[in-house]
Amino acid sequence: MLRVEEVYKSFDGFMAVNRASLHVGRGQIVAVIGPNGAGKTTLFNLITGQLTPDRGRIFFEEQDITRLPPFAICRRGIARSFQIANVFPRLTAFTNVQVSVLSQQNKSGKLFRPATNMAIKETYDILEHVGLSDKAQHLAGSLSHGDQRILEIAIALGNKPNLLILDEPTAGMSPEETKRTMDLIKGLAQVRNLTILFCEHDMDIVFDVAQSIMVMHHGSTLIQGTPQEVRENKEVQEAYLGGEDA
Amino acid sequence: MEAAHAVTFAALGSHLLVGLSRAMILFIVSSGLSFVLGVLRVPNVAHGSLYMIGAFSAYTVFTAVGGQTGFWLALVLAPLVVAAVSFVAERSLFCRLYEREHLMLLLFTFALMLILDDLVKIIWGADYRSIMAPDYFKGSVNIFGSSFPKYNLFLLAAGPVVAVGLWLFTNRTKIGKIARAAAVDREMVGAVGINVSWVFAFAFVLGCFLAGLGGALVAPTVSITLGMDHDIIIEAFLIVTIGGLGNMWGAMVGSLIFGITQSFGVLLWPQFAIVFPYAAVVIVLLARPTGLLKSVW
Amino acid sequence: MADTNKKTLLLSTVLFIALLVVPAILPRFYTYIIASIFVTALLAMSLNLVVGYGGLYQFHHCAFYGVSAYTVALLITKAHVPYWVAFGAGPIAGAIVGYLIGWFCVRLSKLYFGMLQISLGSLIWALAFRWYSLTGGDDGIHGIPVPDFISSTKSSYYFILIVLTISLILMYIIIKSPCGTTLQATRDNPERCEAVGINVRKHQLVALVISTFFAGVSGVLYVILEQSVFPDLLFWVLSLEVFIMCLLGGWFTFAGPIIGAAMMVSLRTFVGVYTEYWTLVLGVLLILLIFFLPEGIMGFFLEKFGAKAPTEDHGGQH
Repeated sequence: MLRVEEVYKSFDGFMAVNRASLHVGRGQIVAVIGPNGAGKTTLFNLITGQLTPDRGRIFFEEQDITRLPPFAICRRGIARSFQIANVFPRLTAFTNVQVSVLSQQNKSGKLFRPATNMAIKETYDILEHVGLSDKAQHLAGSLSHGDQRILEIAIALGNKPNLLILDEPTAGMSPEETKRTMDLIKGLAQVRNLTILFCEHDMDIVFDVAQSIMVMHHGSTLIQGTPQEVRENKEVQEAYLGGEDA
Repeated sequence: MEAAHAVTFAALGSHLLVGLSRAMILFIVSSGLSFVLGVLRVPNVAHGSLYMIGAFSAYTVFTAVGGQTGFWLALVLAPLVVAAVSFVAERSLFCRLYEREHLMLLLFTFALMLILDDLVKIIWGADYRSIMAPDYFKGSVNIFGSSFPKYNLFLLAAGPVVAVGLWLFTNRTKIGKIARAAAVDREMVGAVGINVSWVFAFAFVLGCFLAGLGGALVAPTVSITLGMDHDIIIEAFLIVTIGGLGNMWGAMVGSLIFGITQSFGVLLWPQFAIVFPYAAVVIVLLARPTGLLKSVW
Repeated sequence: MADTNKKTLLLSTVLFIALLVVPAILPRFYTYIIASIFVTALLAMSLNLVVGYGGLYQFHHCAFYGVSAYTVALLITKAHVPYWVAFGAGPIAGAIVGYLIGWFCVRLSKLYFGMLQISLGSLIWALAFRWYSLTGGDDGIHGIPVPDFISSTKSSYYFILIVLTISLILMYIIIKSPCGTTLQATRDNPERCEAVGINVRKHQLVALVISTFFAGVSGVLYVILEQSVFPDLLFWVLSLEVFIMCLLGGWFTFAGPIIGAAMMVSLRTFVGVYTEYWTLVLGVLLILLIFFLPEGIMGFFLEKFGAKAPTEDHGGQH
């Protein structure tokens, strides 16, 4: 479904992503792991078009999306959440999701019809699903950090994506919130038939949820394989699991 | 193009010199604007008013002291007066806004402009004023077979002196280096334990000082009057936009383009002289919307 | 929430009717001042579309207002086209210039956007100022004829009131539409918008064209009211004054800019009677505002009395 072929990206001479490759099959849950600064977020930004790779190509459903702008990539069915809570603070939780649903339905440009009765059902369905429907009329900026992160995912769902990319979905969350979020993500994959690509610090979560794991180190792909293969790989043990991160 | 037949080599040469000396004034003023933009990221709308205060202060000093001493003293004191005004405004009010929404900084400078403009009106009135350069700057010299005011030669020298001084200051002194670093990455500067607020104060005052210096230098060549701030601020805005926001050499390049196109405009089509530099600006921006040289941020 | 809406509607209707009877009871001078407030209010509202709702640094909004006013003036006095053609051409000219300038500006970061706009707008001002043979230079153009039935203060008042009302309703509908909602989202977080499939630049450009169109409508109304145009209409200082009106009234509220415009025009008129230093008063006022009421008067009251700001009341319960 998604194929990243040997991409490179440097910032002022610093190789943030240095020959990274990735393969995501339909319906899979794939995790990218690696120590801080391994280039995970940069890789995600390359896939979703916030950044353009210096070299290499990215295919989604066999089409080249390497140089498309973010909104065009999103239109093809890739939605994402960000590492920091990245919502629309002055709009209500409801409107946050509605904006995304309207965009997916190609109605963002409609000028002369009130938005109040558009995409209502879809939006409430999503809020219901992620468990935020009781906070629909709260301003997003006033929600708790955990709720904002969940809202992030809800916004991404509004796009009816085929592939959902989550950048450290549980960063900064309490253990309970983390569990709630991971259950939600697992549920989403099943109910909405989503393919999910995420990166995460917590190894327990990764080995618990992911069907395929890609390990990044200094911007490069060390290996991509099943949790079992990754666990047993010598290079990974040396470079990562035994080393800098527990 | 009625005047086109009169374009001779001599006229071209002398217009080039006039344009260059005009560019030096523009450079001194716009480099100050650019410096504030670079470090504080605020287009200081009051910059023109400070330039005007520079000119009026120069007038006051000049009339009080008189003669050659008066002229040189005006050149030194007027920018200091402007720096003092800006220092007071910055420390009393402006510095309290650094944590606030960015737009508020801009609006504050607009408020400052409104207040300063009326204060100038109250202090100096609406009359036209002028000051005289010392005798050795009076008259003209013959260059390219046409006469060229001596004072403009002085301006031609002043511009590069200021440029070099500013360069040395931002590259060779500690505070200058910190200010430049703050322009690029203010978090980092804050993180290494430097009081960013004072760096901003310093940058703001230095920028305004340059506005005042520009005003004092221009004073002998123009009539000093209310409204002289309006033209210069727009010109300085245009110059830093085409030069690259916050880039000092960009301000130099922009000033040269502006000054020279303006003076050739006068030669070619006097009525629409003002349109030539603007057209040059549009052409530059069509080709490079973010300015000729790299913006500092 | 439906309750608040009803109240607002009722209040607006009462206000509209009250304004209808104004010319009958107030002296001509006050009718003129209120009409002048209407024109300025429409200008401020149109600016707020892109500033308050779109988060753009539209620093030279008056360029479009002035372009429209000059278009009308020139078409009537030089080209002698029918009035209604000229009145229609004004806003369209404003929107076209808005599109051209906006096309450059939306590519740039916020502050560059503003700087570039001041620069390009000043170019237009310079043209109007210097092109004596066409625009009359700094004298402007006077005695522009308008149709008889709107030439008196009273009749032009009614005409302006009606056009203002229609424009406000249109703007309200646009803000409440998906386009307006999405615009607010681009203000809050453009990066996130891109990631949900919104072409942010295109959206901003659409907003700019709409905004400059209404600025153009305001320009036409100015010509009808004053029957003259000056280069000052295009001057950047006026643009910043209009910017202050939005801030003064409350730029995250729908009606805020109207209140801001009303206050500024009245201040200028009545403070101007007592002192020639009215910009000093304005400057001090602005500083007080920045420090004490950053969300503007409307924003302050809405917060204080617990009502929700209009930007926030989307999505009724079903």
